[in-house]
Amino acid sequence: MPDATVASPLLEMRGIVRSFGAVRANDGIDLDVQAGRILGLLGENGSGKSTLMKVLFGMLPPDAGSIVFRGRPLAGHRPAAAMAAGIAMIHQHFMLIDAMTVVDNVMLGWPEAGRVLRRAAMAARVREASRRFGLDLDPDAPVASLPLGRRQRVEILKAILRDAQLLILDEPTSNLAPSEVAGLLAILRRLRAEGRGIVFITHKMPEVLEVCDEVVVLRAGRVAGRTPVAGASPQQLAEMMVGRSVAAAPAPAAQAPGAVRLSVQGLTAPGLSGVTFALCGGEILGVAGVDGNGQIELAETLAGLRRARGGRITLDGRDITHASAAARVAAGLAYMPADRAHTALVRSMSVAENLMLRDSARPPYARGALLSPAGRRGRARTLMGEYDIRAAGPDTPAGRLSGGNQQKIVVARELDRRPAVLVAHQATWGLDPGATRFVLDRMLALRDGGAAVLYISSELEEVLAIGDRIAVLADGGFAGVVARAAADLPQIGLWMAGRAA
Amino acid sequence: MSGPVSSLPAGGVARAPLRLRLATDRLAVRILLAVALSMLGAALLIALSGHGPLTAFAAMAVGAAGSAHQIGAALNRTTPYLLAGSGVALCFRAGIINIGAEGQIAVGGIGAVAVALATPAGMPPLLAILAALLGGALAGAAWAAVATAIHIGRHVHEVLATLLLNFVAVLLVQQALAGPLGQFGAGFLQSPLLPRAIWLPRLPLIEAHPGFLIALAVAAALSFVLWRTRFGFALRVAGASRPAAAYAGFSLARLTWGVMLLAGALAGLAGGIEVLGVQRRLIEGFSLGFGFKAVTVALLGALEPLAVVPAALFVGLLEAGALSMQRQIGVPSALVAVIEGLTMMFVLAATVRRA
Ligand SMILES: Nc1ncnc2c1ncn2[C@@H]1O[C@H](COP(=O)(O)OP(=O)(O)OP(=O)(O)O)[C@@H](O)[C@H]1O
Ligand SMILES: [Mg+2]
Repeated sequence: MPDATVASPLLEMRGIVRSFGAVRANDGIDLDVQAGRILGLLGENGSGKSTLMKVLFGMLPPDAGSIVFRGRPLAGHRPAAAMAAGIAMIHQHFMLIDAMTVVDNVMLGWPEAGRVLRRAAMAARVREASRRFGLDLDPDAPVASLPLGRRQRVEILKAILRDAQLLILDEPTSNLAPSEVAGLLAILRRLRAEGRGIVFITHKMPEVLEVCDEVVVLRAGRVAGRTPVAGASPQQLAEMMVGRSVAAAPAPAAQAPGAVRLSVQGLTAPGLSGVTFALCGGEILGVAGVDGNGQIELAETLAGLRRARGGRITLDGRDITHASAAARVAAGLAYMPADRAHTALVRSMSVAENLMLRDSARPPYARGALLSPAGRRGRARTLMGEYDIRAAGPDTPAGRLSGGNQQKIVVARELDRRPAVLVAHQATWGLDPGATRFVLDRMLALRDGGAAVLYISSELEEVLAIGDRIAVLADGGFAGVVARAAADLPQIGLWMAGRAA
Repeated sequence: MSGPVSSLPAGGVARAPLRLRLATDRLAVRILLAVALSMLGAALLIALSGHGPLTAFAAMAVGAAGSAHQIGAALNRTTPYLLAGSGVALCFRAGIINIGAEGQIAVGGIGAVAVALATPAGMPPLLAILAALLGGALAGAAWAAVATAIHIGRHVHEVLATLLLNFVAVLLVQQALAGPLGQFGAGFLQSPLLPRAIWLPRLPLIEAHPGFLIALAVAAALSFVLWRTRFGFALRVAGASRPAAAYAGFSLARLTWGVMLLAGALAGLAGGIEVLGVQRRLIEGFSLGFGFKAVTVALLGALEPLAVVPAALFVGLLEAGALSMQRQIGVPSALVAVIEGLTMMFVLAATVRRA
């Protein structure tokens, strides 16, 4: 154990500069992290948070600047060297082998596991650490059987066992259920109590207020402010991020719903046990619930990516139960998938090509069988302006954009079609508060234009803020549906826990 | 559908447009470097065998391009690689690992000869040639269809389905030559010589048949298909991410059928051109190794149909020059197989991306 005193920082980054072409993602950033402290790293989408952490972890070489970690300079390093020095990074997409067990994953690529693997001894260490930090992990469980929150804990466990003194978590909570988030925050507190340093990137103010000791806010690649959390309000923090005041989301005006646009009757599929609801034009149905209770199944079955086993789906009176995904798009059904990395976007393709992903048969993207590159670029420029998608240009590969800007591509594409019905699953995932507001406003506008929206999210607050009615998905079915005005939290909590009223 | 095998070569090679990739990854530089390294390795082997590498390479160059006749022979050699290779490149782009060009070329040869031998004598030559080539293309597409049906209908991995049918195709050639297409009493398995009217004509100046020009046009057309058509876009999306392709509304089965039939037809056409333009009859083993080298050529060309042109030329010239090197200074022409193997290794090492 190093002597971790508050006086000498665990990590000192000085004057970090990193450019991508003309974009200065990091423009002279200083960052200190103390041992035994949790630092919240905030900032708008594309402000340079992930880039800074990739520089620290040795995934990107900086153009200028220096890093001192535990008193030793760190330069020209690769992730392996960063890990050996005591830094761990918990990635958004976990680097685990699904087919292997927890303990096997822990031993993977770890010299200390020995040439001849001592599995039993290692399993004991896993069990011990799991108890100490309240991770609740069974060493022999296959990773494939674990929910997302547990998989993340395996990553944390790896960091703990490798004795990492600094943990980097880049938006670790964005796809966790609320209960999982609470668990994660508790684990972070324990790690802090042990004297480890933590960098925690998030867009969610309540989380910041709950665990962070101080925050550093980035804007356009520079430090826009730093402040201790004690005494700060969410409003202040949000203002520091965007550089202007952010008004609270207005309560959506209630209006009389129109005719039924989407009707779902007794829909069954693997993971769905008879879902029934009707969605009217001018209405948003918010679907809350703990992730893994049929959200992805419901969304994909509606979108035509999974086959319904029974039941009926009609859109504007037309039966689309067995229609192809393409036919549903043509019928006016838009879908924003939660899986951004592999489904909603093709990272290696350009922003423009991603914007036309589901509309490649239509003008201005195509005439007949031929694509129109000019039409594609023109449309892309318009949408990039309209939705504030920050990228070097329409031909930039989508994977190069910051997480939030990638999500804006998905939002722009699905809304631009002026759909009759929108199925949105974790639509604001990874968006900063300003962008989240923007997307929610767009959905309200879509609704006010007479469309119907099914808004599926594991974030109860968002569902409550935007839904005209609230449904709770539990065990593959709707445990209950209430009008927002009549919603009461304890009841919703019970439904979410899978207990009928 | 595409397991780890698919994701190896196709997933490893960058998929952005060529212009873009050449700029960002310096892909062309890396491939050229890989080729240079393999030539260096070859030079070393030649030196070890007690010959001068420079003399050997000079002999090879003269053999490949020393005269109009030799240039023609080299271009003829290049043609099947280019035709089948650009089709294979399109399949790989879509993440469909089609290793079946070998068999599709062979069956294409059968188809072309069958049509040619059945053509009535009075038919205008151009029409007869086109009919025979069409027969080759259709036969190649049909053979690809067998593999595709097995792959899609029975969920057999496409590598297995296409690869194993290659062996069947070779037997099919033998069977055809032992039966309906064979020349009675020839002593070995071959068809009768095709009527002179059906031979592909020679181009003026260089003594190549027009197949090379057809192949060039095909490569250009495929590049257009890949980058400028909806079909090409769907192929690229499917190759990059299967879930994204489903989300985009593209039917993977339809895409697979489309690209496999196209590649099969091109491989069959390659077989037909080889038979009509070079062999002038069907001979057992006339296309041995062509289809496998087409895969090499596709990868060497970074799965970009236009870049497959220089890749195919490289292999074609190398092989045409090898025989002359052997004749002139006694370096075994088998060395060319070694160079091809080395090139393949270096190119794969140079183009597969680090995660
Ligand atoms: N590999 C890359 N190539 C080109 N530009 C890049 C690359 N990575 C990041 N950028 C650019 O650098 C800027 C900062 O991106 P970064 O990912 O660090 O933002 P971020 O703060 O993490 O945003 P978010 O909250 O959306 O995740 C963005 O403008 C982004 O487009
Ligand atoms: Mg980020």
